[in-house]
Amino acid sequence: MVLALALGAAPFVAVTPASASGATGSSGVTGMTGTSGSTGSTGMTGTSGSTGATGSAGMTALRSVTMSSTSSPFQTTRFNAGTPYSSIVVKNPKTGAIESYGNSAITYNVPSSSLNALGEALYMSNCASCHGVAANGVPSGGTSGSYPNLVGLGAATIDFWVASGRMPAANPRAVQAERGIPRLNAAQAEAIAAWVNSLHPSYPAIPSVNLASANVSDGQALFALNCAACHTIEGDGDALAANTYAPSLRNIPAYQVVEAIRTGPGNMPRFTGNLSDFQVRDIVAYVTSEIQHPRNNGGLGLGGLGPVAEGFVGLLLGVGLLALVGYWVGERE
Amino acid sequence: MSEHEQRTPVAISGLSVDDPHLQPAARRPELVERVITILFVVGIILCVGFGVAYVQNWAPWTLGATMGGGLSFLGIGLIAWGKYLMPRGPFVEERHSLASSEEERTAFAAAVVERGGAVVKRRKVLGGLLGTGLGVFGVVAAFPLVRSLGPMPKGTLFHTDWAKGTYLVDITGRRVNVSDLAIGSIVTVFPEGMQDTDNGQAVDQTVLIRLSNSDFTTMKGRETWGPQGYVAYSKLCTHLGCPVGLYEQELELLVCPCHQSMFNVLNGAMPTFGPAPRPLPQLPLMVDAMGYLQSQSDFKEPVGPGFWERRS
Amino acid sequence: MSKTKATKSTNPYGKVGDILNELDDRLGVAKGRSLLDKVFPDHWSFMLGEIALYSFIVLLLTGIFLTLYYIPSSSLVTYHGSYLPLVGQKISEAYASSVNLSFAVRGGLLMRQMHHWACDIFVGAIIVHMARVFFTGAFRKPRELNWTIGTTLLVLAIAEGFLGYSLPDDLVSGTGIRIAYSIILSIPVVGTYVAFFLFGGNFPGTTIIPRFFIIHVLIIPLILLGLVGAHLYLLVRQKHTQFPGKGRTENNVVGTPMYPVFMAKTTGFLLVVGGAIALLGAFAQINPIWQFGFYDAARISYAVQPDFYMGFLDGALRIMPAWEFSGFGHTIPLEVTLPSVVFPGIVFTLVYMWPGIERKYTKDNELHNLLDRPSLRPKRTAAGASVFALMAILFIGSSTDVIANFFHMSLNTVLWLMRILTIVVPLITYPVTYRICKEMQGFAGAGKRKTTNVVVRTADGEYVATPAPVYVDDAHHELDALPVPTFVVESDEVAPSVAEGAPTGVRRAER
Repeated sequence: MVLALALGAAPFVAVTPASASGATGSSGVTGMTGTSGSTGSTGMTGTSGSTGATGSAGMTALRSVTMSSTSSPFQTTRFNAGTPYSSIVVKNPKTGAIESYGNSAITYNVPSSSLNALGEALYMSNCASCHGVAANGVPSGGTSGSYPNLVGLGAATIDFWVASGRMPAANPRAVQAERGIPRLNAAQAEAIAAWVNSLHPSYPAIPSVNLASANVSDGQALFALNCAACHTIEGDGDALAANTYAPSLRNIPAYQVVEAIRTGPGNMPRFTGNLSDFQVRDIVAYVTSEIQHPRNNGGLGLGGLGPVAEGFVGLLLGVGLLALVGYWVGERE
Repeated sequence: MSEHEQRTPVAISGLSVDDPHLQPAARRPELVERVITILFVVGIILCVGFGVAYVQNWAPWTLGATMGGGLSFLGIGLIAWGKYLMPRGPFVEERHSLASSEEERTAFAAAVVERGGAVVKRRKVLGGLLGTGLGVFGVVAAFPLVRSLGPMPKGTLFHTDWAKGTYLVDITGRRVNVSDLAIGSIVTVFPEGMQDTDNGQAVDQTVLIRLSNSDFTTMKGRETWGPQGYVAYSKLCTHLGCPVGLYEQELELLVCPCHQSMFNVLNGAMPTFGPAPRPLPQLPLMVDAMGYLQSQSDFKEPVGPGFWERRS
Repeated sequence: MSKTKATKSTNPYGKVGDILNELDDRLGVAKGRSLLDKVFPDHWSFMLGEIALYSFIVLLLTGIFLTLYYIPSSSLVTYHGSYLPLVGQKISEAYASSVNLSFAVRGGLLMRQMHHWACDIFVGAIIVHMARVFFTGAFRKPRELNWTIGTTLLVLAIAEGFLGYSLPDDLVSGTGIRIAYSIILSIPVVGTYVAFFLFGGNFPGTTIIPRFFIIHVLIIPLILLGLVGAHLYLLVRQKHTQFPGKGRTENNVVGTPMYPVFMAKTTGFLLVVGGAIALLGAFAQINPIWQFGFYDAARISYAVQPDFYMGFLDGALRIMPAWEFSGFGHTIPLEVTLPSVVFPGIVFTLVYMWPGIERKYTKDNELHNLLDRPSLRPKRTAAGASVFALMAILFIGSSTDVIANFFHMSLNTVLWLMRILTIVVPLITYPVTYRICKEMQGFAGAGKRKTTNVVVRTADGEYVATPAPVYVDDAHHELDALPVPTFVVESDEVAPSVAEGAPTGVRRAER
């Protein structure tokens, strides 16, 4: 009921008619339903979804779409949750392709197709040896499933991994790729994302966050409930099972926070319909302010490691130093 | 006055002022005195600085630095005075035996035993009754001190607020719909209406994970519990009750942040590592006509850590 | 003792003498002169207990300040202070008042931090002091009672610290309270009742913070004050122990007199301890509760450890395998009860009973006022070192995730490593320590300060070694110890009221 009302009341520009269902992969991207209000559940169970009332073409797939078999791995029918089912959708007037979508909190920009040529070139020289020339995870002479299939994952996914320096992988054998100094800069990352996304357009697109009117307090509450369990409440990250770990959040730029939340890289769960763009914006505001610029009124932050570091300082500096003073006060013999 | 004489203090003695025991330990006492003077002056300045820092409302660290520095300098000066400028000693004090003399000990024992024994021996019954009375009072006095503290546990630990048809809501109170989450998503849910209450958060808290797009069976007998790939487990760790919020979607593990117990999400949250002994209870789910998730019933076993009355 | 009405005092010591006489009229203070003469041996290792005592004083003083601002209530209020990430959230009054204390009260953050640092130093100093007492055998007859009091002080200090850092009701300490609740639950037969009585119901309830508060602020401090007083009284009455050395026997104490030397040094040390705690409170942030957020039973953070003195419990809980007994309609969560109830119970019982154990084992019922050099008692030293190593490994085991993160190791590997080390390290420590002690015994003057030499090169190129000037601390060892003098006699004077013919003599009388 609630969802139907939301659909009806939404002041968005266009509605994407395609719906999808089933497993991951290559379908038309949005799975959103139109104002005539059937819910996304029908889309999920594999039957063809209903179409929108005001139908203009959505993001057109360049490949043939099998409507019933697949949907984006980031599927959700929630409004303003990182999919083109959002308040504002801007389409190319000539081709009708979605160029950006979003709302006052986050705008998701599909990288321009003019970057495709550059992106393809960069991809072939940096990524194809593992991910294959078709970006499907099958390197030449290799077997399917050797490396992750990049098709249909949305521009944000590709952009996140490359721009954060995780890809090209410094150590392909490592259990988890680490954030590092990026070998390809942000523009190059966007170009690669543009080309890979063009193979099978999907969402989420590359986000840019508007932090004005963000509510840091709501961000703190959401962070504590959803993020602190892995990344620690201080945002320092920690070791997880079997050589995986949650990375530190001290150095991540705002838009990559959105990318990570929406796409759930690696072992990180993805937050799609469980967080709206406004909630994500609040979390980003909290991360970029308090986590990355903690208010250390009390002095040196001691690495934010909590009682472990404090115990060391208390014992070594406190008791140790005072014992040394006691060594001076008393006798040696 | 005789008592006074018996308690005359020990060892009234005198020592020549030139005696080496009374000399300062420092080889150059004037130099040390000058150093201590500087230490004291700096200490006084810093203590005054504390007052200034407080009145002027300077940064918090200045308050501690001035107070700490002031006290430290004064203290070091005083220690140096005692160590280098005061009589260096050494001095000796005799230890007198703590134990009293034989006569005194006998007298003491006699006083306790004979006097007390004389009373009790003749009135054994009274003594026994007194002892019993005091003992009984001691026991019953503990009743209000202990029992009034809180309610009896009864069956509280065996139930949560989940029931047949309870809607799953997130922390904002929004109902969760099957079309909301993608595969690999996790959200903390509560019974509808309980998301802001103590009990809702402490006891009812549940994690909802989407594992696939079609119904998911974690174990035999739970075929209907995972509609459309959604599974729900109690978020209370069965080890010590911490919220098990750490979900690794590729490894399909729920890890408890407190002591790193690991639960396999695919087979009913069986513990695979760490100190947790039992799997996380699974909440049976169902979907209503509009696609909103509901619980079929309460958890089939008590949630959280083990306790004596728990049957298994 | 008639007082003249003249302004000029007839007392040989002037006005001060008059005041002392007035006090003596009322209180008989002159008989306490022996207190001024009390001699304290001042080996540096005897200062460790003073660190504990003086940090306790700092705790009391800073604690009084904090109680004037902290509100021990779980009622919810909406935060409207200066820390933006909390504005508008409904938080408990306890947490709100603690954040307020940190940001809005001038000097409040300093007092909070000093209080917390003083607590860490307090417990750390107790542990170090206790180790000194143990390894030197100062707990032997007649001081077994003091050992018992001291161990109780340690247990109470640990409990007090836990209660204290749980008061602000923040995310990190609230998790600790949840764990404590579950530990109580796990106790067989009575666990659920004790937990429900203590917390006023199921977790979290609203009564635990006020109850923690009153236990932390009134009940335990009163017991601590009483026990510390008893501890010090016994120390004064039985006199301090001392290391064997020149002129030192079982029947005397050699050192510095209480007044003025010891009082000066110890008061200076009090100021230094206070100053050090204040410097730590100024420059090293501790427990930044505003960064943690308030406690909510559905929230959790990773990398949460208790304060170091509780670390051994957390480590024991982490490494324990998941053994749980359930049968006959009941469950005993051994993975909880064994490491957090049984294990500390065994350890502390051992500690309490140690004087008796040693007495039985060595069949030694003598009074001991001279201390042992640890290397001369290899079995005791090795046993103590093993237990210490066990506690240290468990403490390290409480940060398995931090270790795994820091060294880029697998969490699972680190945990198994800790399990193995917990068994192996104490077992190895015993024989290694034993051997080290035995080797030190065979070495004359081991651990003692050697006399230094100054090597001088003559014009011919010859090297000559001459003894160096005696170090200040050792200088007075050249002299024989004398009783504390009551009078200081000018060279040509005779001391008043001293027996004739013995100007620097000693007249002894029965006490």
